[in-house]
Amino acid sequence: MSARTGRATARAPLDKPGALNAPLFRTIVEQLEAGGRHVVLELGPASTPMLELLGRFRCRVEIADLADGGIERLNAAAALEEGANAALEATAEALLPPPDREPFALVFCWDLPNYLQPAALSALMTAVAARTEVRGLAHALIVYSERSMPQHPGRWVPDEELRLVDRRDPTAQVPAPRYSPEDLGRNMGGFAIDRGRLLANGMQEMLFRLPV
Amino acid sequence: MFDRDRKGDKGFDDAPDTRAAMPPRSTPPQGARSGSGDVAVIGRSIQINGDVRGDEDLRIEGDITGTVQLKNANLTIGREGRVKADVYAKSITVDGTTEGDLYATERVHVAANANVRGNITAPRVGIEEGCRFKGSIEMDQEEVDKALARVNMSKAGGAPAKASEARPAQPGSVKGAATN
Repeated sequence: MSARTGRATARAPLDKPGALNAPLFRTIVEQLEAGGRHVVLELGPASTPMLELLGRFRCRVEIADLADGGIERLNAAAALEEGANAALEATAEALLPPPDREPFALVFCWDLPNYLQPAALSALMTAVAARTEVRGLAHALIVYSERSMPQHPGRWVPDEELRLVDRRDPTAQVPAPRYSPEDLGRNMGGFAIDRGRLLANGMQEMLFRLPV
Repeated sequence: MFDRDRKGDKGFDDAPDTRAAMPPRSTPPQGARSGSGDVAVIGRSIQINGDVRGDEDLRIEGDITGTVQLKNANLTIGREGRVKADVYAKSITVDGTTEGDLYATERVHVAANANVRGNITAPRVGIEEGCRFKGSIEMDQEEVDKALARVNMSKAGGAPAKASEARPAQPGSVKGAATN
């Protein structure tokens, strides 16, 4: 699908160096193209290409930018002490828009879940789920094949062909949690796995849906 | 971060300008100054707590807490500027720090060094890569029109009344693009 024209192409674009063909991301864009108003939660930073893309639709975008200190705060709260959920829940709540706004239809998690401890991920996604409409979707990139991952989350942006490009600066590697589907089922705050695709870079592209 | 969602009862009031906080004309260049075609400047050392209003272009390098209302003028929040206020202007360029909602009848531009927390409502929004932004941007034209009407802002003019939400971008800026 061409991001410029919005016209569907007969086949998905080929991978090219540095750009990842992400079929489930494309699925989300197709959903936006179906029309209607959507409220989108962007857990990553504001990015011009992403806002250009979303700007073609009737969207409101809430930008949480968890990479700007949010991940550290959540992990620190998760590490406080076993069973001290109140602080963790409060941290998650503070990182998101108030719950009385329009519910989210789409949530872009990118690779952020890989950088959250299980309890932190659970608290965050529980708070996200409380702000998401029934059958709302969450998109995530989960490190699957590799045992290590970059030290910091990626800066993922779509290119003209809706492939995903990671603009992060080169960085050191850290161990990857390699969350299994079972792990994600427990820690995605009520979101259930809807679909998954193994990408060319070894990550699992996953769509989660908030069930009825 | 998002707990400053200040919808609701922000009314446009008739409080007097806080001109008393601005230095007299005889002070050095960093003090506020204006003239036809010139840009008024609130210098780095200036702190204002209250409403700032006017009909000329303004550059803020100081600290503002309150509201900023430039009905038909352009506002620039410079690199040293720190604005903790809802802002209403024709266009808004942020290169400093803001905490509050930004309403513009033409466009909002967030530069790479900016740190913005709040909601943006404008027909065009430009976001440079590298900026720190947390808040919402409305991309639904209809909702932007409604939001600007609620605060009594439109291209036809009108004073801001109270605040609400965000808006899209068009080709060339963030609904289309921004600078990058």
